[in-house]
Order: sequence, then C-alpha cells, then structure tokens
Amino acid sequence: MNSLKLFAWLTLAFPLAGTIAVALIGPKLPGRGAGWLGTGALALSFASAIGALVKLQGLEHDQRQVVAVGWDYANTVGVDAQISLLVDPLSVFMILVVAGVSTLIHLYSVSYIGSDAGYVRFFAYLNFFVFSMLLLVLAGNFLLLIVGWAFVGAASYMLISFWYRRGTATNAGIKAFVINVLGDVGLVLGTYFIFKHVGTLDFLSTFESVQDDFARNDADLVAGCILLLVGAFAKSAQVPLHTWLPDAMEGPTPVSALIHAATMVTAGVYLIARMHPLFEQAPIAADVGAIIGCLTLLIAGTIAIAVTDLKRVIAYSTMSQIGYMVMAVSAGAYAAGLFHLITHAFFKALLFMAAGSVIAAMAGQQNLDRMGGFRKAMPFTFGCMVIGGLALAGVPPFSGFFSKDEILLLIGDRGGWYWILYVAGYVGAFLTGIYTFRMIFRAFFGEPVPEARELEEGHLHHAEVHSNPANGEVEDTDVGFPGPEHHIAEREPTMKIAMGSLALLAIVGGLLQIPKVTHVIDSFLEPTFEESALYHRELGDGLIAFGLVLGALVGIAGIAIAYFIWVKNPQIAVTVRQRLAPLHKLFVNKWYFDELIGLLIVRPMQWFGNWAQQTFERVVVNGLLVGGTTGVVRAGSSAVRAAQTGFLRYYAALIIVGIVAMTFYFLLAS
Amino acid sequence: MTLHLSIVLWLPIAFGVLGLFAPPKLAGRVALAGATLVLGYAVLYVADFDMASGGLQYVTDETWIAELGIHYKLGLDGLNIVFVLLTAITWFAATLWANFSDFEKPRLFFFHLLIGETAVLGALLAQDLALFVLFFDLMLIPFFFLVGTWGGPARIAATTKMVIYTLVGSLLMLTAAVATGVLAANGAEASLSFAFSDLAQRPLGEGTQEWIFLFFAAAFLVKMPAFPLHGWMPDAYRQMPLPALAVFSAVLSKVAAYGFLRVCAPLFPHAMEKFQTLLLSIALASILYGSAMAFTTTQARLILGYSSVAQLGFIVMGIFALNEQGAQGAVLQSFNHGLVVAPAFFIVALLAERSGGSEDIRDMGGLAMRAPALAALFLIVAFATLAMPGSANFVGEFLILLGVFETKMVFSIVAFAGVVMASVYALRLYIRTMHNRTGPAVQSREISLRDGLVLVPLVLAIIAISLYPQFLLKRTERTITATPADAAANVDLDSGWTAYAPLQVPPPQEQDGP
Amino acid sequence: MIELAVAKAPDIAWGPLSPLIAVLGGALIVLMLGLLRSRLARETLVPALSIASLAIAFGLGVWQWGERADVIAGALRVDELTLMLTFIFCIAGIATVLLSWRHTAPREAAHGEYYALVLTSIAGMIVLVAAQNLVTLFLGFELLSIPLYVLCATEMRRATSLESGLKYLIVGSVGSATLLYGLAFIYGATGSTDFAGIARVVSGGGDIVSDPLLLTGIALAIVGLAFKASTAPFHQWTPDVYEGAPTPVTAFMAVATKAAAFGVMLRLFDVALIGASLDWAPPLAVLAAITIIVGNVGALGQSSLKRLLAYSSVAQAGYMLAGVVVASRLGVQATVFYLAVYLVMNLAAFAVIVARERETPLGDDIDSLNGIGATRPLLAWPMTIAMLGLAGLPATAGFIGKFYLIDAAVTGDYAWLGVVIVVGSMISLAYYLKVIAAIWMRPAFEDTGDEGAVVLAPPGSGDQPALAGASEEATGLRAQGEVVFVAVLFGAATVVLGVVPSPLLNLVRDAGAALGLF
Repeated sequence: MNSLKLFAWLTLAFPLAGTIAVALIGPKLPGRGAGWLGTGALALSFASAIGALVKLQGLEHDQRQVVAVGWDYANTVGVDAQISLLVDPLSVFMILVVAGVSTLIHLYSVSYIGSDAGYVRFFAYLNFFVFSMLLLVLAGNFLLLIVGWAFVGAASYMLISFWYRRGTATNAGIKAFVINVLGDVGLVLGTYFIFKHVGTLDFLSTFESVQDDFARNDADLVAGCILLLVGAFAKSAQVPLHTWLPDAMEGPTPVSALIHAATMVTAGVYLIARMHPLFEQAPIAADVGAIIGCLTLLIAGTIAIAVTDLKRVIAYSTMSQIGYMVMAVSAGAYAAGLFHLITHAFFKALLFMAAGSVIAAMAGQQNLDRMGGFRKAMPFTFGCMVIGGLALAGVPPFSGFFSKDEILLLIGDRGGWYWILYVAGYVGAFLTGIYTFRMIFRAFFGEPVPEARELEEGHLHHAEVHSNPANGEVEDTDVGFPGPEHHIAEREPTMKIAMGSLALLAIVGGLLQIPKVTHVIDSFLEPTFEESALYHRELGDGLIAFGLVLGALVGIAGIAIAYFIWVKNPQIAVTVRQRLAPLHKLFVNKWYFDELIGLLIVRPMQWFGNWAQQTFERVVVNGLLVGGTTGVVRAGSSAVRAAQTGFLRYYAALIIVGIVAMTFYFLLAS
Repeated sequence: MTLHLSIVLWLPIAFGVLGLFAPPKLAGRVALAGATLVLGYAVLYVADFDMASGGLQYVTDETWIAELGIHYKLGLDGLNIVFVLLTAITWFAATLWANFSDFEKPRLFFFHLLIGETAVLGALLAQDLALFVLFFDLMLIPFFFLVGTWGGPARIAATTKMVIYTLVGSLLMLTAAVATGVLAANGAEASLSFAFSDLAQRPLGEGTQEWIFLFFAAAFLVKMPAFPLHGWMPDAYRQMPLPALAVFSAVLSKVAAYGFLRVCAPLFPHAMEKFQTLLLSIALASILYGSAMAFTTTQARLILGYSSVAQLGFIVMGIFALNEQGAQGAVLQSFNHGLVVAPAFFIVALLAERSGGSEDIRDMGGLAMRAPALAALFLIVAFATLAMPGSANFVGEFLILLGVFETKMVFSIVAFAGVVMASVYALRLYIRTMHNRTGPAVQSREISLRDGLVLVPLVLAIIAISLYPQFLLKRTERTITATPADAAANVDLDSGWTAYAPLQVPPPQEQDGP
Repeated sequence: MIELAVAKAPDIAWGPLSPLIAVLGGALIVLMLGLLRSRLARETLVPALSIASLAIAFGLGVWQWGERADVIAGALRVDELTLMLTFIFCIAGIATVLLSWRHTAPREAAHGEYYALVLTSIAGMIVLVAAQNLVTLFLGFELLSIPLYVLCATEMRRATSLESGLKYLIVGSVGSATLLYGLAFIYGATGSTDFAGIARVVSGGGDIVSDPLLLTGIALAIVGLAFKASTAPFHQWTPDVYEGAPTPVTAFMAVATKAAAFGVMLRLFDVALIGASLDWAPPLAVLAAITIIVGNVGALGQSSLKRLLAYSSVAQAGYMLAGVVVASRLGVQATVFYLAVYLVMNLAAFAVIVARERETPLGDDIDSLNGIGATRPLLAWPMTIAMLGLAGLPATAGFIGKFYLIDAAVTGDYAWLGVVIVVGSMISLAYYLKVIAAIWMRPAFEDTGDEGAVVLAPPGSGDQPALAGASEEATGLRAQGEVVFVAVLFGAATVVLGVVPSPLLNLVRDAGAALGLF
C-alpha cells in the first residue's frame, strides 16, 4: 500500500481509535485526560491529513485521483460495494479543513466543557463525529458515502441531545435525526436512479461513464441529481429542510461551532462539488440547487435579523452562508464555493467560540435581550467576535470578503438569469452586515448587564444547579449551559489558543485566493475538476473591480446601519419593529416553516398512527378478522348444542328429516 | 467431511430429554451445553461450506415413508446456512439468558425450548416438502407450552389464540403440500415424492400453482406475521417469556420468509410472478402499518413486535422483487433482523427490571444516567434496528429496495417512508427509555456481568456483520444466482433453487455497464 | 328322510374362522365362569380369560394373515381387511377389559355377563366386516349392536347409564331398521344378496345405476350405517350415550364400533356398489363435510371430557368418511390406517379419563385434569399426546393419518374435502388445546377430602360406590396400575406410529389390496 493511501487510512483511523480509547479508558483518566486524549487523536489525524497533502502534491498532476480499496463490503449480484476511499485534491482539501478545525475545537472544548458531567462521553462523541465526517469526504463510492452521511447525522443527533435530560434537547435531536434520515433516503434513491444506468457504485467509474450512459438532462439523471440534492439540503440545512439547524443549538456550543457551522453542514456543498460531472450533465438539477441556495441565503438572513437567541442568530447566518456555497457549487463556481467553505469554517467557528464564551459569562443565558456591555469585561472575546463579524460581513481584507465576492463574481459571470442570483447575493451580503453587527453591538455595547459588572469585578457569575424533584438527582434540564462552573476565554489558555489561531486564519485566510493575484485553491483542486467545462473560466477585470468594490460597500453599509440602529439610538429598532409588524412577525416565526412541516407531514403521520392504533387494530384486525371467525364458530357450536336437546323425539324428527332428504337426493339424482 | 446434518438436527432434543432427567438445578446447564454444541456445529458448517457450489451440501437422504413418498432428506445450501447460523446463535443466547433467570419447572422449560430449536432446524434443513411442513407445524407446539406455562397472566388465552391463528395457515399448507406432491406426480406419471429435487422437475399447471401458492402464502404470512394477519401477535408477545420471545421473534418469523424462498420460488414460479403485485402490496402495507403502530404504542415489547412486522414486510418485498438483489437482500436482512431483535428483547427485559417491572415506556426514562454501558449497547442495537447506513441491516434494505426498484419502482419509493418511520420509532423507544427525565419508579443501574455475557457478544456480532456483510453474501450468492444450467451441471441435481434466473430483470451482466 | 340326511352341510374351513370361534368360545366360557361363587373366579379369572381369548383370536389372526378365504359358502370372507380390523377389535377389547377390571360396571352387572357381552359384540364386529352378503351383514350388525345396548346400561344404579342404554337401543333400532330396508331395496333392485353378485349387476352397466329402487336402497343403507359410524346428521345419540355409558364401554364403542362400521362401509360401497360410486360418492362427501364441521363445532363448548370426545369421534368419522368417498384403494388404505391410529389415540385418552374418574370426585369433568402435568406425569403425557394426535399435529400418528387421508382425497379429485378436513382440524385445536392447557397450565386440583368435594361431584363419576363408602380414601387415591399401563402404552404407540408408521402402513397396504377390486 503506497504511503498516500496509508495516510488516508490513518486520517480515518485516528479519530476512530480516539473514540474507542476515550470511551473505554477515558473514565479512568484523571482530570481532563479524556479531553486531551481526544484532542491528541485529532492532532494525529490532522498530521496524517497533511501527510496525505504532501504525498498528493508529490504525484503527477493527472494522477492525483487515487482509490484505496479496503475490502469487499457488499460485492454481489451486480452491486459492487467496497470499502474504498477516493483520495484526490477535493477529499484532501476537505480532510484538511475537517481535521484542522476539529483539532482546534477539541482544544477549546478541553476546558470549555470541563465541568460537565458528560465530559468523557462528549469527547467520545466528538471523535466519532470527526471520524464520520472524514469517512464522508473520503468515501470512494456511493454506499460508503451514504454510510458516512448517516454516521455524521447520528453523531450530530447524539451531540445535539447531549444534555439528554432536557426534553427540548431530545426533541431537537430526534428532529435533526429524522430530517437527516430523510436526506439519507434522498441520497439512496438518487443512487438507485444513477446505478440503474451506470451499474456501478464506484465514483470514478460512474463519472467516466456518465457521459455515455446519460443524455443531457436525461429524466432519470435529473431525478437522481435532485434526490441527491434532497440529501444535500437536509444535511446543509437548506430550505425547506433547514428547521432542525436552529433547534440544534440545544447542543453544547463547541458542537455548534464544529458540526453546525464548520464541517457537517457543509457536507451538502461537498456532495454537489463531488458529483459535479452528474450535475453538469443535468443542468436542470444544478439550477434547482442554485435557486434553493439563493432562497435560503435570503430567508435565513431575514430571520437572523429578528431572532434574539445569540446562538440562533449565528445558526441562521450559517444557513445563509451555506446558501452562498450551495448556490456557488450548483452554478459551477466550485473552487469559489469551497474557498468560501474554508473561510467560513474559520470565522464561523470563531464566532461560535466567542459566543460560547459570552454564554458562559452569562451562566447559560443565551438571550440577546439580557446581554449587553461585555466590551470591557471580555476584551479578548470581544476582539475575536469583531474579527469574526468583519469576516462574516465581508469587509476587506478579511477572509469572508474574498471568498464571498468570488462566488458572486463567478455567478455574475454566468450571465442570463443568473443575474438574479447575483443581485440576491449582494442583498444577502447587506443583510449579513446588519444582523452580524446587531448581534455584536447588542452583546458587547450599551449598558453592562449585572453579569458583565460582576465579571469586571473579577467574579464569574454562576447559576444555581437544577435537580430532579422526583429523586433529587442533579440535572441539566435548563436551556443553555449546565454544570456547576463555567469557563470563559479570558481565563482558559486552551480556549485562547483555539480562538486566537482561528482569528488569525479568519483574517489571513482570504489571501489564499485573491482575484488576479493568487489561485492556491483553484490550482490545487484543478485535478478533480479537470474535465469540468465550468471550472476554467476567466473573469473580466471590469467585473472583478466592480464586484469587489460593491461587495465591500454593501458589507460596510450593513454594519453602519446596524450601528445606527442598535448603538446610536436604540428606539429606532422599536419603531421599525412596529412599522413593519407583519414582516417582523414573519421573521420571528421563521417564516412558519415548522408549522408548515407540522401541518403537512408530522400531523398526518400522527393521525395515521393513532387511527391505526385506536381504530383499525381494534375494529378490523381484532374485531373482524379474529372476532369474526371465532364468532362464526361459536355461533355454530351453540347451534349444534341447541339441537342436542337430549330428547329422543327431537332426534327422531331430525332422523326422519335426514332419511327423507337423503332418499330424495338419490331419487332426484337419478 | 462428516458433518452429518442429523447430528445437529437432533442434538437439541437429545439434550432436552437429558435435561428432563437431570436435577432441576442442572437442567439449564445441560440445555446450555446442547445449544453450545449446536452453535459449534453451525460455525463449523459456515466455515466448511463450499461457496463455489450453488447446490446442496452434506446431503442426507433416506426414504422415510415409502407409501407416502416422504423422504428424510436434509441438506445445506447458501439459502439455509444463513438461517441455521442465526438459529444457533439466538438459541444459544436465549438459553444462556434463561440460565441466569430462574423459571419454575426448569426441566420442562428447557425441554420445550430445545424441542423448539430442533423443530426450527428441521424446517430449515428439510429438503422434502412433507418433512418441511411437518417441522414447520411442529415449531409451534413447544411455544404453545412455553407461553401457556411460563407466560404472563393472560397466558392461556394468548397461547391458544397464537397456536390456532398460526396453525390456520400451516394446516392449509398441509393440504397444499400434499396436493403439490400428488398433482406433480400425476403430471409426471411418476411415483409420489415430496423431495424438492423431484418436485422441482415436475412443474405444476398454472392454475394449480396459483391456489397452492396462495395456501402456502397464507401460512407464511400468518407466521411472520404480516398485515393484516398479525392479530395474534400483540397478545402472544405480551405474554411470552422473554427467552422464548427472543428466539420466536428472531427466528420463527424468518422461517416463514425462508419458506417463500425454499418452497414457493422454485416450485411455483408462475404463481410468484402472477401474485407479485399482491404480495408486494401486502409487504408495503405491513411496512407502513407496522411502523405506524410501532411509533404509537407505548409497550416496549410491542414497539419491537410491530417493528418486526415492518421489517418482515421489507423481507417479503425483497423476495417478491423476483430478482437476485432482492433475494440476496431478503436473506441478509432476515439474518440481521434476527440478530438485532433478540438483544433488543433482552434489553427490554433489563429496562423493565429497572423501571419497577413496567414495560410501558411512559414509566421509563433517564436510564442512561447510571448505565452508560447499557446505553451504548442499546444505542447500537437501536441504530441497527432502524437500519442506519453502516449497519448490515442497511445493506440488506439497500439490496432489497434496489431489487424492488428495478422491477416495481413505485413500491420501492413508497417503502422508503417505512425507512423514515423506522428512525422515528426506534429513536422514540431509545429516548423515552434511556433519555429524558428519570421516571419516578426508575432505578437506574448498570448491567450486571451476566447480562453483559449475553448482550455483549450479540452486539459484537452485530458490529462484525456490519463491518463485513460480504461474509454472508458470498455464501448465499451462488445459490441465489444458480441457473437451471448450473443446477444441471451440479453433480446431484439438488439445487432445487432455480427460481430467480429466469426472472432476472435485468440480468447483472447487462447491468455492469460498458 | 334319507334325502334330508344327505342334504350336504356346507364344508367349513375352520382355519379362517378360528379367530371368530376363539372370541365366541371365550364368550361362552366367560359366561359360565361368571356363575361361579368364588370372588377370585369372578373378579380375576373372568377378565383374564376374556383377555386370553382375545389374545388367542389375535394370534390366530396373525396365523391366518396372507390367506384369503371365503368361508361358509361365501357368506364370510376372511382376508387381510377382515384380519386387520379383527386386530383392531381385539386390541380395543383387551384395553376395554383392562379398563373395566375393578370398575363399577362389571360388578353391578355380574362379571360374567359383562365380559361375555363385550366378547359377543366383538364377534359381531368380526362377522360384520367379514360379511360377503347382505344377510350376514345384517346378522353381524345386530350381533354387534345388541350387546352394546346392554353394556351401556350396566351401571344399573346410575340413571344416566340406564338412560343412555335406552336411547342407544331405540335410536340403534331405528338405524338397524333403516339399514334393513335399504338392504332389502338393494336386493330387490339387483336380485342378488351377495356382494359379488350385486357388484356384477351394478357394474354391469345399463340403467341400473339410475334405478330408483337401488338408489333408495343405497340411501337407506347409508343412513343405517351412518348411525353406527355416528356421522352427522345421525350422530345425535352419540354425545348422550357416550356420556351416560360406563367409561370403558364408551371407549369400546368409540374405537371398535366405529372400526366395524367403516369396515362394512368399505365392503358395501367400495366393493358391492363400486359401480354406482357416481351416485353415492357426492352425497357421502357432503355428509363427510357436514360431519366434520358439526362434530368439531359441537365439541367446542363441552366441559365433560366424554361428551367432548364423543363430538371429536363424530368429527373423526367425518375424516374417515373422506377415505370411503374417494372409492379408491388409496382411500381404503387411508381409512383403515386412520382407524388404527384413531384406536390408539382414543384408548390413551379414555384410559386417562377412567384414571381420573377414580382419582377425583369430579368424574369426567375437564377440571379433573387440572395440573396433572405436575402431579401425574404418567397420565399427563399420554393425554397430551392423544390430544395432539387427534388434532393431527406432527410427530404423532394423527399427523400421518391426516396426511394419508388428504393424500387420498386429493388423488381422488376431492381436494376440497381435504381442505374441509384441515379446516375441521383448525377448529378442533380449540378444544384439544383446552384439555392440554388444563393439564399443564392450570393449578392442580386438590381434593380436600371433605364431603363437599364429593357431593359436588357430578353423577357422571361412576365410581362413587367403588369407594366402598370410604370417602376419605378419595384423598391420595391412585388409579390402578392397569389403567395407567393402558394410557402409557397407547400414548407411546401414538408417538411411535407417528415416527415409524411404515410397518402399520404395510399391513394397511395388504388390507387395501385384499379388496382387490380397483
């Protein structure tokens, strides 16, 4: 086995080993040993990812697609499912992001989650998640991709309902899981449609034969691709399958940072990029993806302006940003989309970490209305938050600026109706500026809240611990951050390191790819997208210049408005809310998506279940089928016993009847 | 190779009788020894099995009742070896479990338990239709006693209902079986014989095939049970003692599925095609209805019971995809489901112990707190139950639905609703028991070493097969794909298993693309 | 005068007749011995001798096996069928004697008469199944019936016993009368009394098969025999008589009488009237179906084991009728085979009932079996096996028997009758399982020994006097060894015949071949 494959396997193996090690020996380790064990495993995984990168670059340009086959998984009757990894620039790119960011977030969690009862469990889950995510991006065939896809969903479920005593958390967990299963189903069905024609599950051979097996916009192919998109939407929280993501904020903040911002939710983007040969053969499906992405980025942006839960604001902004990426990769701007994926991973993880720090300072309180004036109390957190915010709002020279604007440039370059997407993208950018800094201003400016004051005097506020009235057990039934003591970045070096390095990356990340200057990502990913028609496109200088300026202005304008509304004279916010009451109602209620899904899917299901349970089972299954037959038999038996009077005269009568009947039969028969 | 099938077939009953004369305390140990030996044998067979041949191996063929053309004929092929392994594993686990929990009249209990194993093995190994029917009906008797004697409060009513209800089908099957033999013999002007190998070469008329098939189908569908013939299931499941329930739900339902593959597919190919849509519809109904029931009922046992209805629905779907993928998936899925549902029932027992004896999930909750190991085991089982990708159950469903997708696309697409519902009821069961607030009557504690001794190996088996389902698939493949030509080439013409080759749509060679 | 002297008596082949002679002789000897004073002679010697004579008859039957002979000028035919059924009668008789020994009935009707009657009845049966012409047929029929009427009433102190005797007498006479009419008509139509002659005429073609005279005759004959075989709708005497009669007698009637009735049916329909099978087969099939349903359905609600078995015997008669209907050698074999397994299963069951009648004051109530799985395994297992066998579950002779019958039915294009048979078996499970459930799954009946329990006992329990007024003996009372022996023996036989049926099947094959008309 050549060393590239070895590195790929190792990248997978370390987190898995980490999971098992943490689960088995973690409980016995002293202090935060389990956390360090988990972090170590990921560090090694990241190291081997880098190893893979080096080896890959060592290969010839056209040989940078390597398949590492482990063993036959279900290789029978025409189905060729193997345990095989596809190591190419795209997958290596992804494992670098995943392993890298995960390592940092583990580092952050080592102390952040420090006082939680489920410390060991947390790291076991987290390692398992990373393993699943790496499996997803390394998978070399559809079946394995689906496996990784589902594992990721499972890990996400386990971590969302990490504080499982809390009904809201378990509900959020099952919601996320079911919607993700919906996505899996889409993925499987899509696979069927494609397998039906290409007759193989292996990625490379599928991509090779897709040109021959499918006509352009072949019905089956379009259906397949759209079903794949369903999977992508479910995982990447795109409309209308996004409702689980905000609820997922029930989970611990590092989880939100890792899974629901940096890595898992970007799986959809990866999927579309990975499947680009199929989508380019089925442009209709691709356009569907682009439009949905565009819708998502707008809807999420509007909601983010209205919600008051700190983490949910960031969650909706995540949705919106992923909308950009989905739009990008669907419209053929693969490198740009993935570029935004990596920068977004940096600054969104950073934002979540900062938010986590604030929530810790608020002792689990996540409501923006209760926050304010943390500027002095938490200078470091504040700094990180601002950096992240600027990157998110796309202010030059922060990373978000370059990545987002490259997406919009390429989409604008497509021309035609893509101009709508182009414009919508800038509107979204404008909204981004507003909601990002609304959040920052409301949390860090204005009158310091009691918790902030307390902190300035050097004391960290702690909430009282809840306990179950039934049996007095200590419980984590209150929303937010349980546990006796909390940890903030200012006091925890590991958190500082993690956030610091991410802040740095959020600042300089953009330099990877500056139009006309650097194309690190473009040229690195090139081998994967070699045969793609849309990949190699030259942008006009005018468009570039215009786009960059416009992007910068839009972002800054948004920030300015936010400052004007929430810092200068806050009562404006109130008046605006009153003016646009219906609109605000729509946004606060998240466009009523939950209600819609409840009405269309959940309710009917429950109704069917109850009907089956209470009516059908009783009336038909037990009543008609069982009761009916036994009833008939019973009736017969009572009839027979009724005839059995014991009086000879009756018998005699019956005998006569019998004889006569018999004789008559014979006579008639003759 | 002297792995004589008669030995493994009669081992359990022999030990059962032995146990009758052992002192009551040791009866369990004796039974365990028997089950262990059977397991050992099963493993030997799996290891020694010749994957290259699609035909029968280790054949035993004696004439039993010449006048009636009944042969005592046993044989293993890719089809039943999987089921035999499943039987051996689950019975071993159940016997072990029963050893740890004390029943009154232990000697009789283990006696019946082992009779059950022999009956099941007989039905699986039989290569003679009459013998199959005989063992198939015999399976029920020990369970009649197990439920009626060691069951819950309403046991007698439940067990009578179960036996009558399930025998309704089986006795019809008796008539159908006799008719098969007789009419086949008349058609071929040959002497009466019930051996599959003979019957396979004496095709029945189409009309005959149809009514005979329907009789068999009735028997198998009731036994599974499939919607709407599951009326006996809730009562029986509620009353059945757990070790019995584990094997009953894990294996006996599968024997019915096996019956379709062993009897109907080779002997009544025309009827299989003719009634494909009907059976697929029943399967689909079972999937949807079973799932719906599973996520509304609050009895932990019944959740598993109805989920089995749904799972069996998938298996039937696979069988009636009438192509290789479907059949492969069905066989694999039968094994998986058995392997998963058995530990699930044991876990339910543990949950009940901890929640004041109640098996109502409304009385449970929060168990995970003090029992991380139990929680972990249960989580794995739950994920396997809902056929999460990565579990062998998923591979089974993948193949099944792929097979159906290729023949009757609509059924496959609708069936996916069942996949989603499965995730709902499985997680509901897990969350309501392990998570949420600790119920008032709940005493959360970790599993004991003895429980672990039963559960951990089963869960490890689940993981193993999930990592390498190919292990089973490659053993079944040759039999499933055996074409008439292969059968002819086969030394003894015993692979009566020639059903699918003619029905392949499309044959895999075309599938593999250019 | 001289002329008269030279009137040649028909030369008689004694060998083939020897079993019959053994039984009749036994009857006479027993009757004589019964007159002796000594208790020993009456209560031990008499039963012993009865058994001996039956055993001898059995042995002679074995000796005669393979030789087919028409004796007494072709009045009787001693072939494998006759002998096979003779074996059945002898076994039934021996079992009956064992069950009767130390039972109330013989004591009340002085032993000699009792056992003599049993033997006579058996002799009648042998004659019946050997009959080759209508006259001997009717002769045997009466010879078998009349002793039974008396036997039913032998427990003179018990009203129900007398009632049953009377009922049986009346209904039975009606049956005999009908049969006699039928035979007369047949004779009138065919102008011949012996089967061969009738067969010749009937099979001779022509419009004889649609001759009203013949048809009426057949109809009445069917009815008459239907009485004895207790097939619906002529079964109604069965539950009352079975319940009232002393249990050993009931057992005897259930197995032996039925065997005789079917034996003669086979001879009459499958030999003499084979040519008219298109006439009689359909109505017989319908009768069979009705019988199966009525019998099984009727048994459902019963709490008296004897009534339950009475109805079950009705149902079983329906099953066996299917074998007659198909009018094929396979059918004959199936019927005879089923008669044999039916014998062992029922004897096991009745033996257990007798035992429990003597052990509990509950008589033949189903509760008398409660919990004996734990207390009396030697009774529990035979009863369980018998019930499973009667229900036709595998690993018992009943399964093979049903299998054979269905085989015959399907082969004879009566597949629907096969379906009716299994539908009947499904229904039958409900009451057979009820018995098994009582044995294994209900708490044991504890006899507190107080008068209450005894008073509560229904009059059906014929052994109150047998307690010799010592009601405290009721507690812990154990049935005599011979009863348990019968139960165990036939219980075991049920399983053995279920696993290795081939020997029996060989006998049956010869019996079927003996008819040699197909």
